Amino acid sequence: MNAIGFAWRSLVRQPARAALGILGVAAVGALLFDMLLLSRGLIVSMQDLLDRGGWDVRVSAGELPGSGLRIADAVNTAEEISKLPSVQAALVMRSATAQIDRASGQPLRASFQGVTTRSTDPAASRLRAPWTILRGRDAEAPDEVVIDEKIASESRLEPGGEVTMRASCVADLEALPATRLKVVGVAEFPFQTTNESTTGGTLDALKAACGGNVGAEADLILVTSKGDADGTAAAIRTLRPEVRAATNTEVVGRLQQTGFTYFRQISTVLTTVTVSFAVLLITVLLTVSVNQRLGEIAALRALGFSRMRVVKDVLSESALIVGIGGLLSLPLGLLLASGLDRILKGMPGIPVALHFFVFERQALAVHIGLLMATAIIAALYPMRIVSTLPIAATLRDEVIG
Amino acid sequence: MWLVPALAGAQEAKPADVLVSRQLAESEGLAVGSVIRLSTDAAGTRAREFRIAGIYEPTPDPARLGQVPRSVRLHLPDLLEMTRPVDVPAGAEYVSSVNVALVDPKDADQFAKDVNARLPGVLALPAGEAAGSAGPFRVLERFHLAIAVVTIIAATVFLLALSIMLVDERRETVGVLRLIGLPVHRILVQILLEGLLVAGVGAIFGLILAVLSEQLINQFFQWRYDTALVFVRITRDVALTCVAIAVPLGASATVVASWALLRRGGLRLARR
Repeated sequence: MNAIGFAWRSLVRQPARAALGILGVAAVGALLFDMLLLSRGLIVSMQDLLDRGGWDVRVSAGELPGSGLRIADAVNTAEEISKLPSVQAALVMRSATAQIDRASGQPLRASFQGVTTRSTDPAASRLRAPWTILRGRDAEAPDEVVIDEKIASESRLEPGGEVTMRASCVADLEALPATRLKVVGVAEFPFQTTNESTTGGTLDALKAACGGNVGAEADLILVTSKGDADGTAAAIRTLRPEVRAATNTEVVGRLQQTGFTYFRQISTVLTTVTVSFAVLLITVLLTVSVNQRLGEIAALRALGFSRMRVVKDVLSESALIVGIGGLLSLPLGLLLASGLDRILKGMPGIPVALHFFVFERQALAVHIGLLMATAIIAALYPMRIVSTLPIAATLRDEVIG
Repeated sequence: MWLVPALAGAQEAKPADVLVSRQLAESEGLAVGSVIRLSTDAAGTRAREFRIAGIYEPTPDPARLGQVPRSVRLHLPDLLEMTRPVDVPAGAEYVSSVNVALVDPKDADQFAKDVNARLPGVLALPAGEAAGSAGPFRVLERFHLAIAVVTIIAATVFLLALSIMLVDERRETVGVLRLIGLPVHRILVQILLEGLLVAGVGAIFGLILAVLSEQLINQFFQWRYDTALVFVRITRDVALTCVAIAVPLGASATVVASWALLRRGGLRLARR
């Protein structure tokens, strides 16, 4: 019988303690797996969100898009950017706060995103506004809007319906006349947060909703390059030094240095604590188990089992406990990750489509590597005990005891 | 706001006072008494001179963790003067919020209700409610609690496995005690007391370790993020909660692990 088979029999002989050891490893492994998913989850998820829609350069007035600062003379800036040889299209995005009247109850508070595209490239016609149409079609005329699912359900609106909206482009306290707009589609807005509602349309629709009081400013200009995003961002910075142009990867890099630090740090700390905890506990389990079987091991040595063979048996036992526990930890970890993700997404200002825990092959590889290291390190001390076990003295003690 | 290079011979007669954050002062080599120029744009248009009246340690803000607070505090009239658009008359500017200190803080709820009723378009909230029920730190608290629950579950499972092993080691002793006439409940009480003692000592050891590491963790993260924020604080309530969980859990694990053993006969336990 090989070492693995022998170790398996040792575990099966004491099912309660083996099952508890495996369950313990599964619980610790699930936490470890989740911390590995958390360490890069936000970055991967944010990169995915930014890459959706094909806009690969973001132009803003502040250090990061969404900082609240607005780009002056935005449409002309987008016009100039669109004429750069490396640019396929530029999309101006302006948001405003809006109130949507309802037949009954309080008006709904929402944000209105108005967009307009500038391009000299015929291939740009395939580019769409930064939202995904779920039902109906995209808004094209100045009296058309798309709404999100939340507004659709709370206002009982569907494509073909009409909304009465009071938008405010300058300040929240403006008292503006209501505007009636046609709902032509229901859309998903990638950066919409859990506690907000969003509508979208053309910049002309936003102007109509704001009573023409919009100004020439915009929150963001999204740019699609013809392939060289880095070169395009550099060309925009040269063309307009007063704005900040960054590729999606650069935006994620900046977020990584500021907003995402906390989760990276907590992931590192908890990964370290979890692995140490697992090593310590499996070492104790194996050591106690080996100490209880010293007589048995000495007898096996006396029967002809080599020193290497009994060491392999202990290592195999450790590998079986950690291996089976580690396998169980994967579904358990994914289940736990979805629960923890739901908790963290309760934070204000977190986009609905953003996830804190994202599965990556790299995370799985690190998880397997750490568990293998745990199995080996945890077995070191018990392996030393069995390798230095004096056969005759142990057998005599067993008989006398 | 932009800090622009000073111009030689262009000093105002008596520049207004400002405070600068410690981090900004350190990075730009600023000192109390220095005269600086501030502008609302990078080109330095409409730049004004100010005298640094003091250097302050910014109130730690967990929401801005990782961002070095390079900030300047101006008197509000100076700030409005600099940021007011040319076509906006003085006194018509917007401010984002107004903080109100009440004579009696207990009146906060009623005061907020009065303001909301009398000033449509203004939202007044007591400071305690301003963060909302889903504030980031309440969410983080829930997240940490969930992690703690998983850790406790994992620790309990391991503890049970260890207890089973340790009880098994004492099988013969327990068997002899049964044979000399000690009833099961007497042995169980002894095991429970032992469990309580071990769990109590373990909990105290854990608390000492936590108190020792508290300082280290805070020092590391305060250095890492250049902040005065306190990351770990072991309060009396936290310590009591830990003991209240650890001691009954440890004692219960010992009793549960022993129960299966004690149901067997004395002879079988003593292997006679």
